[in-house]
Amino acid sequence: MNFLEIVRFEIDYRLRRPYTWILGAVFVGMACLLAMKVMVGEAERAGDLHANAPSLVGMAAVLVSMLGLVISAALFSEAALRDDDTRMSSLFATSPITKTEYLAGRFVGTLLVNALFVSVVPIMLMLLMRPPFVKEELLGPFRAATYVQPAIALLLPSVLFTGALLFAVGVLTRRTLAVFATAAFVFLGGMMAEEYIEGERGLAPLATLIDPLGFVALSENWEFWTTHEKNTRPLDVDASLLWNRLLWTVLTGAILLFTRWRFRMTVPSQRRKGRLEDQKEVSPAHVSPRPSSRLFRASFNGRARIPQFVSIAGDSARELVFSRDFAVIAVLMAIMVLSFGSESISDDFRTPLWPLTQFVAGFLVSFLPALTMALLTTFYAGELVHRERSVGLADIADASPVPDWIIYTGKVAALGLVLVTLQAVLMASGLVVQVTSGHFDFEIALYLRILFGLKLTSYLLLAALAMLVHVVVDNKYLGHVVVVICHLFTMFATRFGLHHNLLVYGRDSGWTYSDISQFGPFLRPVLWFKLYWGGWALLFAVIAGLLWIRGRDRGVATRLRLARQRFGRRAAFATALAALIVIGAGGFIFYNTNVLAGYRTPFEAEEQSAEYERRYGKFENAPQPAVTGTKLHVEIDPERRVVDVRGTYTLVNKTAAPIRTIHLFLNPEVETRAVSFDRGSRVVIADDTLGHRTVELAQALEPGRSLHMAFDVRFEPRGFPNSDPNTSVVGNGTYFDHDGGGPVNHRRWLPLVGYQTSRELSLAQVRREHGLPPRPLAPSVTSSVLDSSSEKTAAWPETITFEAVIGTSPEQTAVAPGTLLRSWNDPSAGSGGRRYFHYATERPVRNTFAIFSARYAVHRETWNGVVIELFYHPTHTFNVERFAKAVRASLEYYTKNFGPYPHRQIRVAAFPRYANLAHAYPGMIAQAEATGWLTKVDERREVDLASMTVAREVAQQWWGFQVIPAAVEGAPAVSEVLAQYSALLVIEELYGMDMVRRFLWNRRVEYLTQRSKANHPEVPLLDVTNHANVIDNKGPLVMYALRQYVGAEPLNAALRRLVATHGSAGPPFATSRDLYRELQGATPPEYHYLLKDLLETITLWNLRTTAIAAEPAGNGAWRVTLDVEAQKFRAGGSGKETEVPMNDLVDVGVFGDASAEPLYLQKHRIRSGRQRISVVVNGTPARAGVDPHQLLIDRNWSDNLRPVIVEQLR
Amino acid sequence: MPDLRIRDLSKTYPNGVHALQRINLTIPPGMYGLLGPNGAGKSTLMRTIATLQEPDEGEIHLGSLDVLRQKDEVRKTLGYLPQEFGVYPKTTAERLLNHFAVLRGITRRGERRDVVESLLRQTNLWDVRKQKLGGFSGGMRQRFGVAIAMIGNPRLLIVDEPTAGLDPAERVRFLNLLAELGEQSVVILSTHIVEDVSELCTRMAIIDRGRILLESEPHRAVGDLQGRIWSRVVSRDELAALEREQVVISTKLLAGRTIAHVFRDGSPGQGFEAVAPDLEDVYFSAMSGRYAGHYGAAATAQS
Repeated sequence: MNFLEIVRFEIDYRLRRPYTWILGAVFVGMACLLAMKVMVGEAERAGDLHANAPSLVGMAAVLVSMLGLVISAALFSEAALRDDDTRMSSLFATSPITKTEYLAGRFVGTLLVNALFVSVVPIMLMLLMRPPFVKEELLGPFRAATYVQPAIALLLPSVLFTGALLFAVGVLTRRTLAVFATAAFVFLGGMMAEEYIEGERGLAPLATLIDPLGFVALSENWEFWTTHEKNTRPLDVDASLLWNRLLWTVLTGAILLFTRWRFRMTVPSQRRKGRLEDQKEVSPAHVSPRPSSRLFRASFNGRARIPQFVSIAGDSARELVFSRDFAVIAVLMAIMVLSFGSESISDDFRTPLWPLTQFVAGFLVSFLPALTMALLTTFYAGELVHRERSVGLADIADASPVPDWIIYTGKVAALGLVLVTLQAVLMASGLVVQVTSGHFDFEIALYLRILFGLKLTSYLLLAALAMLVHVVVDNKYLGHVVVVICHLFTMFATRFGLHHNLLVYGRDSGWTYSDISQFGPFLRPVLWFKLYWGGWALLFAVIAGLLWIRGRDRGVATRLRLARQRFGRRAAFATALAALIVIGAGGFIFYNTNVLAGYRTPFEAEEQSAEYERRYGKFENAPQPAVTGTKLHVEIDPERRVVDVRGTYTLVNKTAAPIRTIHLFLNPEVETRAVSFDRGSRVVIADDTLGHRTVELAQALEPGRSLHMAFDVRFEPRGFPNSDPNTSVVGNGTYFDHDGGGPVNHRRWLPLVGYQTSRELSLAQVRREHGLPPRPLAPSVTSSVLDSSSEKTAAWPETITFEAVIGTSPEQTAVAPGTLLRSWNDPSAGSGGRRYFHYATERPVRNTFAIFSARYAVHRETWNGVVIELFYHPTHTFNVERFAKAVRASLEYYTKNFGPYPHRQIRVAAFPRYANLAHAYPGMIAQAEATGWLTKVDERREVDLASMTVAREVAQQWWGFQVIPAAVEGAPAVSEVLAQYSALLVIEELYGMDMVRRFLWNRRVEYLTQRSKANHPEVPLLDVTNHANVIDNKGPLVMYALRQYVGAEPLNAALRRLVATHGSAGPPFATSRDLYRELQGATPPEYHYLLKDLLETITLWNLRTTAIAAEPAGNGAWRVTLDVEAQKFRAGGSGKETEVPMNDLVDVGVFGDASAEPLYLQKHRIRSGRQRISVVVNGTPARAGVDPHQLLIDRNWSDNLRPVIVEQLR
Repeated sequence: MPDLRIRDLSKTYPNGVHALQRINLTIPPGMYGLLGPNGAGKSTLMRTIATLQEPDEGEIHLGSLDVLRQKDEVRKTLGYLPQEFGVYPKTTAERLLNHFAVLRGITRRGERRDVVESLLRQTNLWDVRKQKLGGFSGGMRQRFGVAIAMIGNPRLLIVDEPTAGLDPAERVRFLNLLAELGEQSVVILSTHIVEDVSELCTRMAIIDRGRILLESEPHRAVGDLQGRIWSRVVSRDELAALEREQVVISTKLLAGRTIAHVFRDGSPGQGFEAVAPDLEDVYFSAMSGRYAGHYGAAATAQS
């Protein structure tokens, strides 16, 4: 019963040590806190999701097991290494126990302790996930099974698998580092697998199988679940999860057997390769006393400190860097960069980008490498602090005449050197990534600035913290755990309500590098923050130096007494300096962020919007004049980041009644110096905080009459903000716009007429928090706002004539809508002269425009009298030709099929990558640096999203600026959805159907995934407002399905009619119902049900081919018989589905060899339930099925087609 | 050369062990032996002198230096070889010695090279200076420890149980090294092996359970016992009776027979032979308790 005794002793030993309990308490506390934060956070984010929904509990279980890896690593590395470390091995090796008993005993004992910790978490959660800890309204009904099931299916098996792996690594390598590295690897592996499969779906089954935590299997599980299902459905312990668990059970067995096989019950030193090197024993028994040849004077003046410091730093760093462990780490990091690097250099839509240094260096400081560096910093800090003690050299070293602070700073410097080496490894790997992609413009200086300037300081700050923690905690493993917790805390600080960067150690205001604008406005605040935290780091160093353990006394009282003794002049000076920096830099930052830039927490910022609505919402329906003309004089000073706009609006009363009171929104972000009217007026309300102004005219504006309003606006950033500095105006790459419905609030600097509903809070949950009643996202399409006889014109968009003179610095080009009437230099203005551009539109355009200024290179060509101009960054030439071609092709196709292009020019202008988007303005497109300009297009395998984006934005010149949607529900259906569909047609023209199918395949996956993650109820396509998923992903699927059913030409004809009816500026503006009517007109009546399914409702199909039989029908023909199952569902907003009877026309197809045309493709009536379809084809069938091109939205599309196995039938 | 003076030094560990109880010692230059059984408080005393541990009360002075407060000053002239120590197994002897030489303030490169060479030669490690320390035998490592301790000719050298675990030849080599050092500094050698002290030390103290039992010069202590140690061969049965009647300070086996040593002024009787006392007898006499007062008083008087 040796085994049981070893297990018993192991458990007993562990449970009697306070260390175990501290570790356990810390883990359980952290795990519960994190799990609750995530569960409650998700529930709050996603409106109807319950915080205790089975899916969220499952997610929490996975998070807990990821966090548990740290604990397992600490426990199992100790189990594997304790006997060596304490030099007990020889005693065990000589005991009459088998190695199986020994290993199994250690493993099982530790496993039980670990399992104990882990199983406490679900129990705690069961108790905590209820009022008063969680708000009642966030909770669903309590079910114990919700917690038990993930614990049994996920949590405990994960402990077993990872425990076995970590234990095996510990036993076989005899290295703590290897154990922690394996834990980190599993952690990152799970995360990366999840990331990876979203991009490469083909690998999903593999990733599901190999992830030991079950994370991937779980997310696969819910991938397409709707809110309703997430709330009610228990975890599917489906095949993929079972296979995963089975595979890992087998693997665990194999790992343990392998460990048993390799393990030898001997003392480590004999097992090491270094057999005692042959000792040249030369010393005779008698040694003649030989005094030292000279008498040396040791020197202890200030100069001796430098070599001592250098020696400690250098030797410690050398010891760490020139080791096998480090070589392995370096290789792994290089592999990580090389395997994920080129993969990760992509835009928000996973389209690969050219590996410019800004992207590669950006990746090298991104989450994954930064996390690795943080973990290594933690690890090496522990090694350095405990270095002498772990080999037993501490007594000798401690008795050496080196001051404590030299030892401590020497070790910090050693850690710095290690970090520098690691950064160098990363940089070298980055260069390799560039070379292998054929990119040779390395921009070494940029690498150095990012890796060794900005990011290294972050790591050094972390190093100071890690060293302090290790010194204070004085236990290597517990130290690691505490540092990791500090780390998690900083990562999740905002969840704990800490938003200001002065409050979270190491945080700064963040930065983005752009080739166009470089570090722009980001650098200065970041450096201030670094200085501020540097002050703290210095303070940490002082504290650590005072608490540094020297000698044998480790009691708290003694350490404190020693610290007091050590607190001499030097420490006092350093403390004073640190305090000075912290207070000085902190004060300066506070003055900038809070006093000058007016810092507000997210809640306070929301509260401002809420207050605006509460106070001035009553003016929402007040009749207001419409803007019909805008004349601007804009002076841009890029260097000082200042813009002055003097302008005049022409306001016309388009209502039926006289208007006396004008409401204005004057953006509080800018200084609106003057607003005046060309007739007597009186300010009634002037609220500068919320930006509202009400003006009463001395003489009312009669219907149909106009008046002029002049204004003078100045944008000048004051101080710097806590985060997200304003990037509209930068040294190079200025871009600001005036877009009534645009997403970026702070860009709308010019006065806006009327109460602005767009400033209201929109998310239901947020509105509730601020005590506001729920509100529809937009007026209903059937509401009275559309009644053109009504006085309420809020839903009517404005059209204006636009004219602007823009001045900028002489080397920059300013771009705005309209024809460039004149451009001139004014050498006398400003310091280095000014350059001016005068633009004007020839016909009224929708009231949305943007102004750009940068050192642009220009590509210019003409197509049928339309000037195509591309303004781009001089080195970003990769896709200029491609863009020009896409613009040409778009103009060609749209003009032919929808109607003429209304302007004489179309411009595409680049702006820095602060936002990754493309946005259309009348005659103009803003295209971000990293969307399109730098996309690395692979036409053969991927979708040419660069061309697609441009084609979509060009299409908005028809859908959005000719057919202007009324501002009611469904507006994006008329603009965005049609623009996307049009772009798809251009892509088909350029590349053919294959690329279109690839694109739609991605959209389908994205639609079903996003649908499951949505934070507000889904709506049918006709009712969309800000439902990005429905617009961007479902939109093209629906339009393409229609096109396949109805045909491209009838659909184009319908769209042409839409342009003809609504194309001229001015009412009646189009709604989604107008579109629907046109589509109905173009669709044969037998498909009207389909229009309803696709556009008017949320409908999903489940189509399945269950069996196929094929028999020869003579003359090389075959009779193919398909067994088909079908269901059709209508879904509610939160995804609750009800089956509806189906009797739809669905494609049935039979295919020969993969590349050939289909042998058969006809529509058949498919009813709900099972049915048999029999067709005769000319040719050998290979595959057959129902809805083979997946026109109908089906969550399990892979079972639509089945292979026909002919041989078997013969 | 200054004395090391220890006054009223006391230390009680959190687990209640009284490691040091009002220790008073004056240690002159030369080799000083600290003799005592395991757990007597030797190491605690040594570590306290070596600035590695804080006493509960008491004072230690090295000449004018306050050892407990001017730690950094003391360390400049301190060599310490702990009872147990490790080395970085992957570093060579030369490299690590060089490292410590820098830490010891020998910052000029040329000088340091000379010091390192001379120390490696003195400790007979010159030929293995390029070897990894992980491959060193116990004796080699011990000598390497002495080399570190000797860097910069410290005025105070503390050597804790250096001969434990050494083979006889290594032990001889080692003691020779120490003897050489004793000419220049205060060398405190703690040991539980009596021969170490008798062979090397000019002065010695016997310590047990945190108290000094005896403080003397070895030859004087031995001389004082002249004529007071008697031995007799006893059988196992007789031993108990003998222990009741006489002060039996030690029993040992010689060729299978038990020989008892008895402390007594004048012959204890029939069958006892007078033996020429050695330091072991001093040690055991002191340990038996009867004897402490006598010599302890002498030591105090002397100081």
